[in-house]
Amino acid sequence: MTKAKLTARNVDVFYGEKKAIDDVSIDIGNGVVTAFIGPSGCGKSTFLRTLNRMNDTIAGARVTGQILLDGEDIYGKEMDPVALRARVGMVFQKPNPFPKSIYENVAYGPRIHGLAQGKADMDAIVEKALTRAGLWPEVKDRLTDAGTALSGGQQQRLCIARAIAVSPEVILMDEPCSALDPIATARIEELIEELKDRYAIVIVTHSMQQAARVSQRTAFFHLGKMVEYGETSQIFTNPREVRTKDYITGRYG
Amino acid sequence: MSNTWQTPEMTKRIARRHAAEKRFRLAGLTAIVLSLLFLAVLLFIMLKNGLGGLDWAFLTGSDATSADAAGVWGALKGSFLTMLVTLLLSFPMGVLAAIYLEEFAPRSRWIDWVEVSINNLAAVPSIIFGLLGLAVFINTLNLPRSSPLVGGLTLALMTMPIIVISGRNAIKAVPPSIRDAALAVGASPVQTVFHHVLPLALPGILTGTIIGMARALGETAPLLMIGMRAFVATPPGGITDPSSVLPMQIFLWSDEIDRGFVQNTSAAIIVLLVFLLAMNGLAIYLRNKFEVRW
Repeated sequence: MTKAKLTARNVDVFYGEKKAIDDVSIDIGNGVVTAFIGPSGCGKSTFLRTLNRMNDTIAGARVTGQILLDGEDIYGKEMDPVALRARVGMVFQKPNPFPKSIYENVAYGPRIHGLAQGKADMDAIVEKALTRAGLWPEVKDRLTDAGTALSGGQQQRLCIARAIAVSPEVILMDEPCSALDPIATARIEELIEELKDRYAIVIVTHSMQQAARVSQRTAFFHLGKMVEYGETSQIFTNPREVRTKDYITGRYG
Repeated sequence: MSNTWQTPEMTKRIARRHAAEKRFRLAGLTAIVLSLLFLAVLLFIMLKNGLGGLDWAFLTGSDATSADAAGVWGALKGSFLTMLVTLLLSFPMGVLAAIYLEEFAPRSRWIDWVEVSINNLAAVPSIIFGLLGLAVFINTLNLPRSSPLVGGLTLALMTMPIIVISGRNAIKAVPPSIRDAALAVGASPVQTVFHHVLPLALPGILTGTIIGMARALGETAPLLMIGMRAFVATPPGGITDPSSVLPMQIFLWSDEIDRGFVQNTSAAIIVLLVFLLAMNGLAIYLRNKFEVRW
């Protein structure tokens, strides 16, 4: 792996007194898809949310250790979480488009960050984001329709378009397909494959098949610790740790 | 019998349940009919007594010593100005307080205390607010007695907690996923609230506001304390002029011995009801206009 995009060192996350993440250190590469797998409650989503400081919104959540984005401490004093989230986008488990038009869903981010010079420029940004998210052909004639009127899979691709419209460097996906049917899931997985060259993508998934299909590197979390991290092929065919082996062979989880 | 699998006990219980179902429907229907009947009788009496007095002279005139010359315009304008002051103060204050408490306030003992206080404030008897208004606005700040300004300020104190409580509920009902979505594209917390949460909560906030305003419109007790029961023969020119309000006018006329004022009282009640209906209608219109379905 070349130079890491995100580097976490000795990260602990607390919810009040409870320790949700225990001493996690990981390098996340650019241009690859990194999957976090593990049983429910293992802390993989919690750790994902520390990477763009979405944990800040949870009362009582506390992060110690160091997380660097291109060498910059994202919990440092100079780092503005608002600016950070423009660089590290996020797609959520349940598609959550704004109850506004399709166009407005995508244009919102670029507008608040002042990325477009005028209407034509904004139109171009919206079209590009929707095209990259593979949604443009389906919605180009109804951009003023409500984003919430789309199907679940289309809504999720709209959310991906919304995330990439602000030109992030990293995209975090928190079980993006768990609310979708197999066909919509396949579309999202194709999309992840197409997007991975431009962004560092981190995906949390409950489906080991999905991790095996879309990711190049996989981290296995268990009880708040990162048990094993390596090439996806190695994790699934030749895990070093017994716990990883037990999990991927379906002993628990 | 087709249901051979049913035991006699079961059949008996099912019959009992059906009967209970019927009894409940009947009770519910009776409750509605009784309350509507009461309203209908009230309306009928008001219209019968008051409709005759409801002419142009009555609508444009102000209070007078003779029943024939007395009109409702002064009180109507007083009510309007008072409501305006109340709305302009309590709506922004109430909404801002609700947003702060729901979205920004850190969880602490101090905030818990503020919450309990606001809930208690909504339950304080209105006459106490009148005393407060008298002590603070008139005796301490020397604002003009009997004026819509002081009346509006006093009623705003009363209305604000209602707006805060309903506003908080409306804000709480906005799904957290919308906040996540906005924050994740790099919106600041304030942008998240004003671009996404508040528009979705607005219909609920408006409903609460109108309930509070309707209560304030019909209020008399606190206005007694700040001197809005005076005889005012000229309509107020502004919010600092002495004035009456509709419910107070009704109260004053109902006290008159002259028979002619009975008609005036009923006619003023009709005007007050129309005012209320117009306010509610506006609220429903605004609510539907801002309602976002998703």
